[in-house]
Amino acid sequence: MVLEVLNLVAGYWKIPVVEDISIRVDKGEIVALLGPNGSGKSTILKSIMGFAKVFKGRIIYNGLDVTGVPANRLVRMGIGYVPQVSNIFGSLTVKENLEIGAYLRKEKVEDDVEEVLEFFPELKGMLRRRADSLSGGERQLLALARALMGKPRLLLLDEPTASLSPKTALNVFSKIVEIRDEGIPILMAEQNVLKTLEVSDKAYILVSGKCIASGSSEEILKDEDLGKLYLGLK
Amino acid sequence: MALIIYFFLFSPYRWWMVINWLQVLMNSLVWGCMYLLATVGLSLTYGLSRFPNFAHAEYITFGAYMAYMFFSILGLDLYLSVGLAVLSSALLGGLSYILLFKPLKSRGASLIHLMVASIGLGLLIRHTLMQVFGGGILSFKMIWSCIFIGPVVTTPLLLTAIVTAFIVAILLHILLMKTKLGKAIRATADNPELAAASGIDMDRVSLFTWLLGAALAGFSGVFLAMRSSLVPLLGWKVLLQAFAITLLGGIGSFYGTLAASFILSLSENLGVVALTWLGLSADYRSAVAFIVLVSTLIVKPEGLISTVKRRA
Ligand SMILES: Nc1ncnc2c1ncn2[C@@H]1O[C@H](COP(=O)(O)OP(=O)(O)O)[C@@H](O)[C@H]1O
Ligand SMILES: [Mg+2]
Repeated sequence: MVLEVLNLVAGYWKIPVVEDISIRVDKGEIVALLGPNGSGKSTILKSIMGFAKVFKGRIIYNGLDVTGVPANRLVRMGIGYVPQVSNIFGSLTVKENLEIGAYLRKEKVEDDVEEVLEFFPELKGMLRRRADSLSGGERQLLALARALMGKPRLLLLDEPTASLSPKTALNVFSKIVEIRDEGIPILMAEQNVLKTLEVSDKAYILVSGKCIASGSSEEILKDEDLGKLYLGLK
Repeated sequence: MALIIYFFLFSPYRWWMVINWLQVLMNSLVWGCMYLLATVGLSLTYGLSRFPNFAHAEYITFGAYMAYMFFSILGLDLYLSVGLAVLSSALLGGLSYILLFKPLKSRGASLIHLMVASIGLGLLIRHTLMQVFGGGILSFKMIWSCIFIGPVVTTPLLLTAIVTAFIVAILLHILLMKTKLGKAIRATADNPELAAASGIDMDRVSLFTWLLGAALAGFSGVFLAMRSSLVPLLGWKVLLQAFAITLLGGIGSFYGTLAASFILSLSENLGVVALTWLGLSADYRSAVAFIVLVSTLIVKPEGLISTVKRRA
């Protein structure tokens, strides 16, 4: 088991927005957080990273209690995170974005940049451009690439295909599967329910901050009531 | 315009006018350098910590008084005194970040809270300096010989200020663009949360920036005081200019600050020429900074180079 969230109550200031959430991510898995806008998917990921307030519950990473550990230490421990919005450094170049991704490593990162570019050939030839001049799809790829530069052992992705064209979204999904197959487990929030259930191993369905169902993605895909009522599937 | 060109080319006063213009350029260069040193720290800390630090004015003043103490009172070597003064300013900046602003921020203080706290800190520092050194005008009692470069007059002090500012600008360029720490500073100013999620220790990066910014402010204070005299309002008198430059350049942008420093000093010096022609007092000089500040906010609120995303 890589990550375990136990009975989490989290939110902002004094207001909890998610309640009694328990999540488990095992080796080699893509685990999906599904649910409508405002259901608390981002809040869960943020509370793991220490960006939202944890009122109750525990977060266990590789057997260690990391509840309340600041983000920069979690990165050091091997957790990579791609937020939903503002997930690149717009005023830095593409290359600098990648270098910052490898901030904690002492040695030269040129080779790693090359390697990441092999994985994201779309970014080749863009290294010197300011990141905020990229298209939406390219930004999403850069955000993923930045996180991968840190050589994470667990990746948290917040709606990596939001507001992308269907074709670009498919490309991102295939990268995510490849990353999983490389051995990096992924916990990701998504709105693209069908496609996500196709690629993920497990899923948790959230509605207004509560987990109303969870199970293997196959089971959830088969459950017609769940699909109709909460996921907008027919 | 035609009249000006006519004057420039054919008037019997044309040599006087040529000299005048070169001198205006020279003055603009000098003041641009002073402004750059005085402002770059304000802009960087504003970009990183996301609030305008009014006590920055007092880092300028503090540096000047410390140089006065080491040099004129304790009689230390000039360069040593300046070095110690710059270090003292850095220390003051670092301490104000660690003891005041960082704790306030981590308790969720708003922009207004931080701003008011910085005004309070500024008053505290200023009045402490007045208690210790008195409120009157002090002087380094240095007499600068005049250097004539063609038709332009300057002093060794001002030449030193220019050279220093250029060296500082080059070093800052190398720091911010080439080093890991500098890139971390820019990344943190751009997007603090993503910086933390990349492993950057924001506290360390911030502390370094506060130390550096206050050190440069103190440096500018030494030049400002040696050029004329030392008063408790030394820094406060250039704070409006510093804010105008920060906003015009784009909060947190080094190159913006660099450009804006010279734009403002040139505008001011041209403004003084215009005021003289109009027969008005040159005291209206600071109105130029005010006009630049207000027009920036109206026309291009993100400044020349935007690094910090505007939060809705
Ligand atoms: N920074 C914040 N401060 C206060 N409330 C927030 C903040 N971010 C999100 N919320 C609230 O938390 C709830 C869950 O939001 P979020 O976790 O972003 O949902 P999702 O990612 O599923 O769309 C929403 O009601 C939202 O208004
Ligand atoms: Mg979200």
